[in-house]
Order: sequence, then C-alpha cells, then structure tokens
Amino acid sequence: MQRKLVVSSSPHLRNEGVSTRRLMLDVIIALLPTAVASVWFFGGAALNLLLVAVITAVAAEYFYQKLTKQKTTVSDLSAVVTGMLLAFNLPASAPWWIAAIGSVIAIVLVKQMFGGMGQNFMNPALIARTILMLSWASLMAANVLPHAGQWVAAAGADAVASATPLGENPASYSLWQLFSGNIPGMLGETCKLTLILGGIYLLVRGVIDWRIPAAFIGTAFVLFWIYYGTLYSVESGSANVLYQLLSGGLLLGAFFMATDYVTSPVSPWGRVIMGVGCASVLFVIRVYNPSYPEGCSFAILFMNVLTPLIDKLTVPKPFGYVKPAKPGKGA
Amino acid sequence: MSEKKNLRKIFMNGILDENPTFRMVLGMCPTLAISTAVNQGIGMGLATTFVLVFSNLVISLLRNIIPEKVRIPSFVVVIATFVTIVDQLMKAFVPALSQSLGVYIPLIVVNCIIFARAESYAFKQPPMASLVDGLGMGAGFTLALILLSSVRELLGSGTLMGAQVMPASYHPMAIIIRPPGGFIMLGLLLLVVNAAVKAMQKHKASRAKEESV
Amino acid sequence: MNSLLLIIVGGVLVNNFVMSKFLGICAFLGVSKKTETALGMGMAVTFVMAIASLFTYLVQHYLLIPLHLEYMQTIAFILIIAVLVQSVEMVLKKTSRSLYLALGVYLPLITTNCAVLGVAINNTTAVEGGYNLIQSVVNGTAGALGFTLAIVAFAAIRERLEIGNMPKWMDGFPGALIGAGLMSIAFQGFSGLIH
Repeated sequence: MQRKLVVSSSPHLRNEGVSTRRLMLDVIIALLPTAVASVWFFGGAALNLLLVAVITAVAAEYFYQKLTKQKTTVSDLSAVVTGMLLAFNLPASAPWWIAAIGSVIAIVLVKQMFGGMGQNFMNPALIARTILMLSWASLMAANVLPHAGQWVAAAGADAVASATPLGENPASYSLWQLFSGNIPGMLGETCKLTLILGGIYLLVRGVIDWRIPAAFIGTAFVLFWIYYGTLYSVESGSANVLYQLLSGGLLLGAFFMATDYVTSPVSPWGRVIMGVGCASVLFVIRVYNPSYPEGCSFAILFMNVLTPLIDKLTVPKPFGYVKPAKPGKGA
Repeated sequence: MSEKKNLRKIFMNGILDENPTFRMVLGMCPTLAISTAVNQGIGMGLATTFVLVFSNLVISLLRNIIPEKVRIPSFVVVIATFVTIVDQLMKAFVPALSQSLGVYIPLIVVNCIIFARAESYAFKQPPMASLVDGLGMGAGFTLALILLSSVRELLGSGTLMGAQVMPASYHPMAIIIRPPGGFIMLGLLLLVVNAAVKAMQKHKASRAKEESV
Repeated sequence: MNSLLLIIVGGVLVNNFVMSKFLGICAFLGVSKKTETALGMGMAVTFVMAIASLFTYLVQHYLLIPLHLEYMQTIAFILIIAVLVQSVEMVLKKTSRSLYLALGVYLPLITTNCAVLGVAINNTTAVEGGYNLIQSVVNGTAGALGFTLAIVAFAAIRERLEIGNMPKWMDGFPGALIGAGLMSIAFQGFSGLIH
C-alpha cells in the first residue's frame, strides 16, 4: 500500500471506488477519537456542527451528481471526510448555517466543479474554512472556552470571549491543557492526544506517508526554536516551541490536511518540500502577520497551489514527460 | 432608415453578441479590481466609454493618414490623450470616485477593449459607425460592470450604491468584495451567461427549424 | 536594506500583482496553459518591468517633475514602455538569438500588460514622493517575480486540470477564473504582513 501510494500520481484514485472507500474509512476511524474529544470539550454545539457539516457535504455531493446526471459516488465516503474536517475547522460558537455553507463550498465549488474525486487542486475543507473566516471573521473566532464533560456551556460562558491561544494577547496555558485539548480553539484542533493517535493510526495503516507530517512538524520545531530559544516554560507564555506546536491547527493540518493525496506532491522529495514549505509559511504568518491569529490553513493552501509545480520538478522524468501515459488516465 | 437600423445593430452588437466582458472576456483587470461597489462600476464604465468613443472616432478619422506601420504607437498616443483628459476631469469633478478607482483610471490606457476596437474596428470603418461601435462597446462594458458590482456589493456588503438593502439579519459575505471573490464571482457569472446564451441559441435553432418545416 | 526586503516580500507575496491587485490578468489568463510558456512570459515581463522601472523613474524625476508636466505621466510612461519593448525586441534579435527565441513572442504582448504601467505608476505613488531609483527597480523586479510565481504555478495547475475530467462547461475562462480565485485565497494569508 505504502509503495503504491508513493509511486502513483495523485489522480489515481479516480476509478478505484472500492479502494477509495477503504481509505476514507480509515481516515474516518482516525478522525473519530478527535470527534469524540470535541464533543467532550464543547458539548452539544460540537455534535450539531459535525452533523450539519457531514450531512450537508454528503447531500451536496449527491444532489450535484444527480443534477449533472453523473453516477453518484457518495458511497466512497469522501464527502463524509470532507464534512468532518470542515467541522473540525469551526469554532463551537459558529452558527449551523456556517457549517452548511462551508460544506457546499467545499464539495461543489472546490471539488465537483473541478472534476470531482481526485481532481480538486486545493484542499476542499481548508478552502471552505478560509472562505468562511475571510467572510465572517467574528463568527469564526475560536474564542469559546471548553466545558469538559458538560453538554451545554454554563449560562453566559459561551458569550464570554476568552483569549485564543494564538493571536494578539495569547493566554497562558499549561502543557497538559494544551496537550489534552482543554483550551479554546476550533473543534478538532484542540485535543492533541487524539490527533496524534489518529495520525499514528494512519501512518501504521499506510494511508499517509510519514514525510509530510515529519517535515512539517520538524521544520516548525526548528524555526520556533531558533526564534524563541525556549522549549517550554510557563513564564514565556506563547513564546516557546511547545506552545506553538500544540496550539492552533498545526497537528490537525500536519496529519490530516497537508497529507491529502490529491493536493500534495507525489514524490518523496516533493513531500519533504511540502512539509518544509507548510511550516515555513505558517511560521511567517504566525510571527510576522498580525492580521490573522493562525496561519496553518493559509500555509497548507499556499503549498497546495505549488503542488503541481513541485510534482513537475520532482517526479522522475519518464513520469512527468509522457503526460498522456499517466497511470491515472484510463487505468 | 436602413442606415439607422445598421447603426442600431452596431450598438447592440457591443451589448450582446460581442459584449466585451462576457463574450470577448477583455478588460479583466479593471473589471475584477473595481467591481466591489456599484458606484465604482458605473464610474469605471463611463470613463472607459468616454475614452472608447473618442479614440474610436479620432482613429477612424485619421485612418487614412496613419501609416499601417506606426498604427500601434499612434493608437497609444490617441488613447493615452483621452485617458489623461478623463483622469484630470474626474480628479476635478468627482475627486472621491477618482480616489477610490485610483491607479485603474490611468490604466484604462492598457485596457485591451480599447485597443481591440481601435485595431479591429475603428481603423477600418467610417467615423459614424466607429463612434457608435465605441458607444455600444462602452455600454456593454458598463452594463457588465454594473451587473458584477451589484452582485458583489449586495452579497459582500449587503448594500447597493452604499444604501443598506439586505435585512439586518444578513451577515455580509465579506470575501466577495476581496480579491478571491472578484475572480470567483466573475467566473460564476460567466457560467450563467454562457448557459443563457446556449439556451437562447437552442431556442433560436429550434424555432428556425419549426419555421422551415 | 530593510526597506528593500519589505519591498521584495510585498511585491512577491503580499501585494502580488495578479492575486491581489488584478494587474496583468490578460496575460495571466491567456498565457498560462503551459508551464514553459508561462515561464517565458514571466521572464519577459521581469526583464521589461525592471528596465521600465528604471526609465520611467528617470523621466519622472528629470523631465516631468522639473517641467511641471506630471499630468502627462500616463502618456509619457506608456510611450516609454512601448518604445522600450520595441527596442528590447530589436536588441535581443541582434545580440542574443537564443534569448530572442525564448522571449521574443511575448514581448509585443507586454506593451498592453497593465502590470508594467501599473508598477511604473506605483513607483511614483507607493510612498510620499515616490520610491527612489534603487527602490523603484527593486519594486519592479519583485512585482514581476510575483507575477512569474503566480503564472507558473497557475500554469502547472491548469496542465493538471487539463488531463483531469473537469466538466465541459468549466473549460476556458470560467474554470480559469474560479481556479484563480481559489488560488488567490492562499495568497490572502500574506495580506497584512506588511503595511
């Protein structure tokens, strides 16, 4: 499995409905612990958003394909994954319609209009998240305090905006809070424990290649180490390496978004470039750009833009050369 | 009578069959850049129409004097002159609009619609027809800008010409008035126009068929 | 030195001509079907934009301003660019056959590439009193490199979409515009990086 993914080109999933379904099932299994964690920390609101996003994504895919008279492919479960990832990128305070609009954008505008499964050149969930964020910044702010174990937040708690872990005045959180996910943030970003478990599951199952997450996290580690010089200390607030690695969307992005085959390079070196590039752009936006609290989605999207070019430059010659003979085509 | 009819046909050509924005897809830079508000769309449309009409007229009048070889530099000079006039006029009379359109007013000089009409129309046709062609193309461009900027302002700010239109409960989708929204909304609008044209052609074809039967 | 770095980052990423200022869209949409031609166009634009920044600076500061003819800027600049493009073409034809073959076809298209005129005007308005000579040339070159980055990356994307199964009705401009829109979302991450 691993080898096969390394050598074939990204649109290879197109005609392999069965294997797509199996892969997507693995991704869903890997995402489930984080989904449970998000419901544990953010209660009913998280469950609502997850359901709305997944149902809308599947419905959008189904109706788009019916409307354009195509064979429906909802059973490959990729729309479920897109819906889950989108919900993971929403704050618990987001209204339901934001999740619905996001899912429609992800499925119709980003994926289906460019040819459907395996054809989109940008990550659908990330484009949707970014469009939502650029459209409704205040509704997308990740400043809801988690209320572990409670179905509904204590009265008034939702309304109280707390400092997000990243951004202008970052609050101080202990290492355990950051790791367990007991911090404000997007639904699926906060719990590092379940994200790492899911990531390991995908690595073991051979669904994702280790190079992108390793290069991503490794480069981020080095860059923040050089910049801050401290591994971790409570006094330094957010100005230390571990705080930066464990807050925001870095781990969710490194394991689940940057590794999306369709929008990441094919060759081993291309994947290293992808990881290094994601971390570098993330670093630049977090450290130097005051207009956004978090740069992870922009960083991955920027590398998505460069992916076809990276492929062109790094894929072994006979491959990039004889374009019509690409294995994905008509295989 | 037929002369008049002919001029009308030339005028309508710019609005429908050869609409510079939707059919020819020319002049994309100003279209995308300034269509964030309807008043800017109207301003840019009228300014471009002014330049189009006069450059078409002058180039048509001079078409037998300008040697073929230096026609491009000559076009540039004629067009740039009228752009400078419109730029100065707008600075004097509508300074706020001039400010918000900014660099895109002098950039009318390199708007490919104007070049395309000079080269493919005005340099070969009589003055009256060229003037009407400029008017038609300008009107087509202006209408397209109004359409695009209405959609963008309505969805992106909830207003039209600066007046609140959408209900207060509407959350404006701000990305539509940012650069990505320009590209995406124009692309979607082109899809709609293409579909409409296709439906119209189908309708025409089926009617022609019926008549012939 | 620091200000030059800011100009470079600004030109390539933050105020990318294509992705956030909508300059050079015609070339961006028209010459982006193949990566190689996109690169050729990008290089030709870079070449012309650097030289145009130099010459328009000289004309602005040693001709237009002393003679109080600032309102003639548009005419003067577009003429300089037209003449420049012509002479670059002629010089290349005589001196470097290979470079001429690589860039020649794109050169005539550049006169009406609004990015060139755009950067020349931008050089005079970006800061109070305009950029100085070195800043102008750096700004022109960085802007052109940003254009090259965008058009080459976009061409690689279009090549990939070409062999995919994008619906028929997305072919041509609608697909290109929506694709460019998605791409420009990624560039939005840099907006606000510098002011």
